[in-house]
Amino acid sequence: MGKLWVISIASISILLPFLCNAFSPESPTDRRLLVLLDDFAIKSSHSIYFNSLKSRGFDLEFKLADDPKIALQRYGQYLYDALILFCPSVERFGGSIDYAAIIDFVDSGHDLIIAADSNASDLIREVGNESGVEFDEDPSAMVIDHISYAVSETEGDHTLIASDDLIKSDVILGSKRIAAPILFRGIGHSLNPANNLVLKVLSASPSAYSANPKSKLSTPPTLIGSAISLVSIVQARNNARILITGTLSMFSNRFFRSGVQKAGSHTKHEKSGNEQFLTEISKWVFHERCHLKAVNVKHHKVGETDEPALYRINDELEYSVEIFEWSGTSWEPYVANDVQVQFYMMSPYVLKTMSHDKKGLYSTSFKVPDVYGVFQFKVEYQKLGYTSLSLSKQIPVRPYRHNEYERFIPAAYPYYGAAFSMMAGFFIFSFVHLYSK
Amino acid sequence: MARSLAGFLVLLLVVSICEAASLFQPVSDSHRSAALELFTPDHGSFKSLEETYEALRTFQIFGIEKKPDVTASACRSISETVGSSTSTSKDLFYALKANSIAECKIHETASKGIISSLNAAVSAASSLLDFYYSVGGLVLIKDQSSKDDIHLADAEGVFRSVKAFSQSDGRWRYSSSNPESSAFAAGIALETLAGIVSLASSELDQSLISTLKNDISKLFDSIEKYDDGTLYFDDKLVDGYEYQGPLSITSSVLRGLTAFAAVTTGNIDLPRDKILGLAKFFLGIGVPGDAKDFFYQIDALACLESNRVSIPLILSLSSAVLSLTKKDSLKVRVTTVLGSNAPPLTVKLVGAFSSVSKDASLVESQELKFDQGSGLHILNDLLKSIDVGSYTFVFEVVLQEPEDEKVYVMGSQTKVPIFVTGLVKIENSEIAVLDSDLGSVESQNKLDLTAKNDVSLSANHLQKMRLSFQLTTPRGRAFRPHQAFLKLRHESKVEHIFVVGNSGKQFEIVLNFLGLVEKFFYLSGKYDMELTVGDAAMENSLLVAIGYIELDLPEAPEKAPRPPPQPVDPYSRYGPQAEITHIFRAPEKRPPQELSLAFLGLTILPLLGFFIGLLRLGVNMKNFPTKPIPATFAVLFHVGIGAVLLLYVFFWLKLDLFQTLKVLGFLGVFLVFVGHRILSHLAAASAKLKSA
Repeated sequence: MGKLWVISIASISILLPFLCNAFSPESPTDRRLLVLLDDFAIKSSHSIYFNSLKSRGFDLEFKLADDPKIALQRYGQYLYDALILFCPSVERFGGSIDYAAIIDFVDSGHDLIIAADSNASDLIREVGNESGVEFDEDPSAMVIDHISYAVSETEGDHTLIASDDLIKSDVILGSKRIAAPILFRGIGHSLNPANNLVLKVLSASPSAYSANPKSKLSTPPTLIGSAISLVSIVQARNNARILITGTLSMFSNRFFRSGVQKAGSHTKHEKSGNEQFLTEISKWVFHERCHLKAVNVKHHKVGETDEPALYRINDELEYSVEIFEWSGTSWEPYVANDVQVQFYMMSPYVLKTMSHDKKGLYSTSFKVPDVYGVFQFKVEYQKLGYTSLSLSKQIPVRPYRHNEYERFIPAAYPYYGAAFSMMAGFFIFSFVHLYSK
Repeated sequence: MARSLAGFLVLLLVVSICEAASLFQPVSDSHRSAALELFTPDHGSFKSLEETYEALRTFQIFGIEKKPDVTASACRSISETVGSSTSTSKDLFYALKANSIAECKIHETASKGIISSLNAAVSAASSLLDFYYSVGGLVLIKDQSSKDDIHLADAEGVFRSVKAFSQSDGRWRYSSSNPESSAFAAGIALETLAGIVSLASSELDQSLISTLKNDISKLFDSIEKYDDGTLYFDDKLVDGYEYQGPLSITSSVLRGLTAFAAVTTGNIDLPRDKILGLAKFFLGIGVPGDAKDFFYQIDALACLESNRVSIPLILSLSSAVLSLTKKDSLKVRVTTVLGSNAPPLTVKLVGAFSSVSKDASLVESQELKFDQGSGLHILNDLLKSIDVGSYTFVFEVVLQEPEDEKVYVMGSQTKVPIFVTGLVKIENSEIAVLDSDLGSVESQNKLDLTAKNDVSLSANHLQKMRLSFQLTTPRGRAFRPHQAFLKLRHESKVEHIFVVGNSGKQFEIVLNFLGLVEKFFYLSGKYDMELTVGDAAMENSLLVAIGYIELDLPEAPEKAPRPPPQPVDPYSRYGPQAEITHIFRAPEKRPPQELSLAFLGLTILPLLGFFIGLLRLGVNMKNFPTKPIPATFAVLFHVGIGAVLLLYVFFWLKLDLFQTLKVLGFLGVFLVFVGHRILSHLAAASAKLKSA
C-alpha cells in the first residue's frame, strides 16, 4: 500500500508540468475535457459528437456523474480545462464535485457545456440559473411548436422542432452557413434580461411555447414565442465560455444523422444541421477561435521612439498595440475596423478608432488634451463572440513649466519699450543732472 | 442503488431516443449505413482479429456484399496467428471465428498444430475464459474442416469442471478464486457448454443438461425490466473488474442461449414474452455509435432471428401520423427483428382509444387487408368514428399456421400511439370593442384568420374587447386545440398572453381593460395583436397578426408596478462607440502685431521729447570734473550705472534673479564707493562756489 502511494505521488510529480501546460494563455484551446454522463450508453448513442471532439485533439474522459471518485481539482490544480455535463437527471454529483465546485471551475476561467432535458434535476437547473438562464419550472414541460416542427413519421406531438433561428454571427457559428434546420427536442429556457453576458444562439420560432404536451392549458405558459431560447452561450468576464441547452438528444447520433423536413416546406434536407451547428459552436466554446490577445502596447511622442515617463499637455503622441486571434493552432493577426483607444481620466477625453496595417498592428496618433492629471490609455474591446480585451496603462500628464511658455510676446512690446526708454532716459538724465551748469 | 438509478436513466434515454415508447422499428437502412461507417478498416485492415470478426460478422448478418475489401488482409493476419506457435488460445479463437466468415485456407499442418494446442489448453484450463476460448476454438475448427475426428477426450469431465463455476442464482463466476458472479459470464459459460456438447463423442448425461436448463430459467428470473416492457440483463458494478454494460451482458446471454439451444434436443422452457422483451430492448437502443455496441446489438438480434427457442415478431407502422386530408391508410408491417418477412398471419385492429377519454373503444374489431406485393397489412379507410386527435390503437396478431405458434413469439396485443391529423375549419371569426356597462357593440370587424389582418381598434379602460371564432373538425365536431393564445404586444415590447377559452365549438375571449389596467402597467398606446392556434392534430395551425388596438389607459399611480426590463438586442450591445475628440482651450485674443509696434513707437516718443527738451534747454557738460582723479571716478560712476542697466537687460533676456542679485551686489558696492567720491567732489565744488 505504502509503495503504491510513493509510485502515485512520483508519477503525479512527473506528470504535473505537462498537466499544467495544457491550458495556458499562450495556447488557449482546451485540451482535457471531463464528460459527466448519466449512463455510459450516452457514450455510444452520442458517439459522433464525441468523436468529432476527439478528432480535433481533445482528450475526453468519461465518468458517471455519480462516480464517487470524480474530482475537478487535485492539490489546487485543475485536472481539466472544460466540463461537459451530459447528465440532466443527476441529483447529486459523486466525489468532490458539487454546485459550488462547478461555479468555481467556471470562475477560474474554464469552459462548460450543460445539457438539460425534460425532467432535469434541480442541480442542473441551478447551474443553469447561475449562468444566467432559467429553465421552465414545470418539470413536464417541453417546447412545442405547431408551425415549425419537423415532419416525422413516427411522432406527431410536435415536440420535435426544426429550428433555424440562429444568431447572426459568423464568428460563433463559422463562416459556412448552416443550411439545414436544427432538430431540437427538450425544454426551453429564458435569459435573464439583466445579464448581458448571455446570448441566445438558437431561439424558438414565434409560434413556439413551452408546456406539457399531454395536458390541456388553462393558464398561459410562462415561456412563449421567440423569447424561448433553445441554445444559449455565455462568455464570462474572465473569458470562460458556457453553452447551455435544454436537450441532450440534440447531440445524439440519431439527430445528427436524421434527415429533416420543416413542416410547410417542401425541401427535405438529407441531414439535419445539428452536426455542423454543434461542431462549430463547440469550437467556439473550447476557444478554438474568437480568442484575442493584445501584445506590444506602445506609446511615444510623434517623432520619437522611446516611451516617456509622462507627457506634457498638448504633446502629439502615437499609440500602438498588436492584436492577434487564436486560430486553434497559431496566433493570426486580427483584422477589424472597430478597435478603439481611449485617453481616460474619470471619463474619456479622447476616444479614437485605430487604423491597422492588416498584420495585427493597430495604431493611432492624437494630441494630449490641455488638462493635466493622471490619465490612462484604455482599450476596452468587446465584440460579439470574441473574448473581450481590456488594456489600461497609466500615464501622467503635466502642465507647461514656467520657462516653456512663449518668451517675447509682441503684444508686450510697448511695455518693453517703455521700460527701456525709461532706463535710457535715466542714464542720460544722470549726466544732465550732475554735470549741466 | 447506483445501478438502479443508472438503469432508470437508460430508460429515460431509451424513451427520449425512441419517442413512441411502445413502437419498435425493426432494423432499417440506417443500420446498414451505420455499419459501413462504423466498421471502416484503418489502412485496409482492422486493429485486431476480434474487431475483424465483429466487422465481418456484421456485414454477414446484413448481407452487405459490397463490403470493404478486408478479406485479403484478414486472411493474412489469420494465417499469421494460426501459424505462429506463440499465439494464445484467445488469439486462435478470434482468428478461427474470423475465418469462419472470411473462409481463408488454413494449412493442414497448422490446423493440426492448433488442434493439439487447443486440446492441451482445454485440459490445462482453470478459468471460465480459458475454457471458453479453447473449447470455442475447437468447435470452430470442427465446423470449418468438416472433420469428424475432433472431439474432446473427456467431454463430461470438462463439462463438470465448467459447471463448477455456476452459482445458485443462474449466474456464473469467471474463476473459482473470484467470488463475483455475473450474467455476462453466464452467457460465456452457456456458449462453452454448448461447444462441449457438440464436441462430445458420446451422448452426455441428460441430468447435466437438465440442471443446466434449470440454471437458464433461474437466470431469466433475474432479468431486469424497464417501464416500457423492455427486458435486459445487468450485473452489479464491481470495483476492479471491467463493467460490461447491459448491452454486452444481454447480448452475451442471448448468444449463449442460442448456442446451447442449437445443440440440445428438447425444449428450453422460457417465458416467451421475455424473449420479446429482450428483442424490444435491442431495438429500442436505436443505432449505437460505438462499433462494439453496434456488434453486440446486431449479433444479439441475429441470435434472436435464428434461435431455436422462439423467434420474436415485431409489429411496426410505416407512419404513426395519419392525415385525414390526404386519406392516409393505416399500414402495418409484421417482421422479424432483422426485418425479414413473417410467416402468414393476420393483423386485427381490436381497439382504438382516444387519449382524452380512455374508456371505450371507438372501433369494432376488424381485420387488416394483407397486400402480398408490399408485405403490408392495410386498413384503407379510417373509420368514420375516428376524428382528428391522438389515439392509442391496439393490434392483435394471429398466426395462420398453428405450427408457427411454437416457433414465433408475438405479444398478445400491441398498443401503438397514432396521431390523426386534418384540416380544422375556422369560421365566424370576429373582433369587437364593447362598451362596458351596456355591452353594446361599438365597432365590429370580421377577420380572416388564414391571412394577415389589418384591424385598427381603439378603446379606453372602460371598454372591453371581444375576440371570437369557431373551430370544427373535418368530421364536424368541436375541436379544442392545445394552443389558443392571444398575444398583445405594446410598443415597448412588453407582451401579454391570454388563453382563449371555449364552450363547444365557440372560442371567445373578452378582455375587460378595467381589470387589466394594472397588468398592462398603465401603458397606453398601440398594442399589436397576434392569435396563435395550434395543435398536434391540426394541419393548418396558424400564427396570424390581427392588427392593433390603441389603448387609452389612465395615468399610473405612484406605487404602480413597473414593466419588467426587456432583453437588449445583442447586436446593438456591441460595436464601436462614437469618437470623442478633446476640445482645447482657445488661445487668448491678442492685438495685431502692427498695433503693438505702433504703441512701441509711442513709448519711445517721450524719450525723444526728453532729448529735444534737453537740447532746447542747452544742456552742457561744464560741471564735469576737470581734474583726472574726480574725472575717473565720474566715468566709473556712470559706467557703473550703465552696467546696472545692462544687467537689467540681461536679467530680462537670460539671467535669473540670483545671478542678477549677485552681480548687482558687487556693482552696488562699487557704485556706492565711486558715487560717494564723485558726489562728494561735486558737492564740495558747489559749496566752494557758493561760499565764493
